[in-house]
Amino acid sequence: MTDKDMEKTLREKARELLTSGEVKVVIGWGWNRARTKTTPIFITNPDETDRLIFNPLCVNNLSVYLTRKFKDIQALGRPAIVAKGCDIKNIVVLITEAQVKRQDVFIIGMVCEGMVYRQELWKGELTPEIMPTKCHNCDVRNPHVADFVIGGRSAFTPPEAPVGMVFEKIKALDGQAPSERWNFWINEFSRCIKCYACRQVCSLCFCERCITEKNMPQWIETSAHQRGNLSWNLTRAMHLVGRCTFCGECERACPVNIPLNLLNQKMIGVVKDAFDFRSGYDEKTHPPMIVFSPDDKENFIK
Amino acid sequence: MKEKILRRSDIGRLIDSVGTKGGAFVAPALVARQVVFKAIKSADEVSFDYILARNSYKEFVFPQTEVVADFTFTGNKVDLRGREVEARDTVVFGARPCEATSLSALRAVFTWDFVDEFYTKREDTLVVMTVGCTKADEACFCTTVELSPESKSGSDIYLRETETGDYTVEALTDRGKAFVELHAGCFEEGDAKLKPLVRPEVIKGIDLGKIQSRLAQRENYADPVWGELTRKCIGCGACTYVCPTCHCFDITDEGTAFEAERRKNWDSCQYESFTLHASGHNPRDFQFKRWRNRFMCKFTYYPNKFSSKGCVGCGRCVRVCPVRLDITEAMEELSK
Amino acid sequence: MSGHEEQSGTTGGYEPKIMAFVCNWCTYAGADLAGTSRMEYRPNVRIIKLPCTGRIDPLFIIKAFENGADGVLVSGCHPGDCHYTTGNYHARRRWIGFKHLMEFTGIDMRRLHFSWVSASEAIKWVDLINNVTDEIKKLGPFMEYRGLKDAPPQAAE
Repeated sequence: MTDKDMEKTLREKARELLTSGEVKVVIGWGWNRARTKTTPIFITNPDETDRLIFNPLCVNNLSVYLTRKFKDIQALGRPAIVAKGCDIKNIVVLITEAQVKRQDVFIIGMVCEGMVYRQELWKGELTPEIMPTKCHNCDVRNPHVADFVIGGRSAFTPPEAPVGMVFEKIKALDGQAPSERWNFWINEFSRCIKCYACRQVCSLCFCERCITEKNMPQWIETSAHQRGNLSWNLTRAMHLVGRCTFCGECERACPVNIPLNLLNQKMIGVVKDAFDFRSGYDEKTHPPMIVFSPDDKENFIK
Repeated sequence: MKEKILRRSDIGRLIDSVGTKGGAFVAPALVARQVVFKAIKSADEVSFDYILARNSYKEFVFPQTEVVADFTFTGNKVDLRGREVEARDTVVFGARPCEATSLSALRAVFTWDFVDEFYTKREDTLVVMTVGCTKADEACFCTTVELSPESKSGSDIYLRETETGDYTVEALTDRGKAFVELHAGCFEEGDAKLKPLVRPEVIKGIDLGKIQSRLAQRENYADPVWGELTRKCIGCGACTYVCPTCHCFDITDEGTAFEAERRKNWDSCQYESFTLHASGHNPRDFQFKRWRNRFMCKFTYYPNKFSSKGCVGCGRCVRVCPVRLDITEAMEELSK
Repeated sequence: MSGHEEQSGTTGGYEPKIMAFVCNWCTYAGADLAGTSRMEYRPNVRIIKLPCTGRIDPLFIIKAFENGADGVLVSGCHPGDCHYTTGNYHARRRWIGFKHLMEFTGIDMRRLHFSWVSASEAIKWVDLINNVTDEIKKLGPFMEYRGLKDAPPQAAE
């Protein structure tokens, strides 16, 4: 199925859902005015479903709009969400963490053959060079949890050992001395401007009151000096351990290009090795940090 | 007529000349795969191929974080010491005409009912060398807010690129003239063929007068259009942090029970906690209200209170937005 | 800095500051036993008692480094012995994540120690503190972390 055919089916399905009243709003992607970039759109009128699109520029992970931060969207009524496999992983985590009930959202799963890393890179054709690491290793090109799937089955099988820049860089960092890693991260974090775009764009950062906003006492210094930046970035990464699905939104949103994917993917690897858990695949399994096993193995507690 | 020329090959000398006189040279440079304003030491660092730096240069007059006072507790006594700002002569090379205009907006707010020396002392020693744009992208909309690549407001020195990659130099203000004189050895006289300026197209259907009058009507404050336009806003502050005219800050104390620093940090009206009252009440309880505030700040509060431009059309907020919320789309809608 | 003088030993050499987050029921009782048994150990450790290791937020450890700790020690009941049945199991999971995160960020793992010390293990506690103190003493003050706050932002360098 081509993107055009998928768009057609998507629009028809959205119209049908809205007309029947099964959902009140369809959360999907649409064009900006110049039709050069995609942007999230919210369709409530069945006559407007032709605004929905699907192509390799649809990078946004729309699952963020299902969280309780978006009360005005929740007020619209039951949503249908257009989601790629990677976005569905986040919805699955939201379900396991009791933020969304499975029956309260209609998932329109889109078969996906990869997205661009950033929309600015798009030159009219999807080439491996402009795809993010997650797409090269994607095992959910065929949506794994969905009420309705659009697109022909993807034949892609991910490589056995993960490939891509993120994994190479993690390996390189792991091989370095601690002081080299420290210098690398302090340099990266020193650019942080504390805009919190990484937090806001993340559907798993759904706390209504973030730890950075707890100011009696101020746990995380709001100043964008290196110490405040380090504690923010460490805490953000820690709060996503066992939850992050490597959707890459935080790194994409970062206005100063901090390689947050490295931190997140490193921790995904740790969780996989230590607890044999990968987040976002099964809505019935508890996330690893809220459960435990008496047999958990470690070698550093003396 | 001979014109004053700054050769590209002389920029290194200019940087050295500024450096030996104790000044800082700020220019667009490549940091982490993107062009940003940065204090630089050599001409090799300067990026010449850019449309706009990702950040605005406001952080050199209004730093993201700075200590304004510090204090120590001894017994029952508090010893509070204010800090004096020591502004270093700073020259910003490669600003664009749009963002140069923003300085008057910042100055207006920082000298409005109280003169904030932390800003004014820095701006008083700032020399802005603007380069007229020979490139633009789809996010540029200076012409829509009645500016253009030829706008000279806010610039001390206005440069135009020549076909050979050099610059013609036009010193506009006293500070700019003094700068050119001080570093006279770096400039020369000559003829130049100018590269044409690129003007972004005026976006059809936007009428600033109409926006203003519409925003002035109280009933439009509750217009459902705000909610529809900005539903996708995720409330990160990225737009406000890259905006050359946004200026909000927060005062916070950082330290221990014995000693602490009082810091002035950037803040953003896009955050929920920005207007959160101690009582728990929040007058801007939904994201669209926060976004509406930023829009009104740019298009009515500023023009009305300070007769200055709140929005200079640089398009940074459009480029940086993770959900591609385009302020010009809102301007178009509110021009109706 | 009143109340916060650098502590130096009788020899005038460098003495590290070590922060210990311990649980109320096992490790604190173990340290108490060491005290009542008149065992001597290095005075470099400052103990903060919490109800359970499950209460130890990783942010406490970051905060300790921020406030000038040269090393941090976290200790509680042995697995299976938690006063609240499962608190230390949860803590262990969290530490597995946090330890790797700190390691990946480049914090020297000789500055961050985790241990199980029961109420009867006064000798283990004494040995632990002595070993940790000696190790950190060799490393010297944690200047990388302490220097962070006053380092200029990158753009203004």
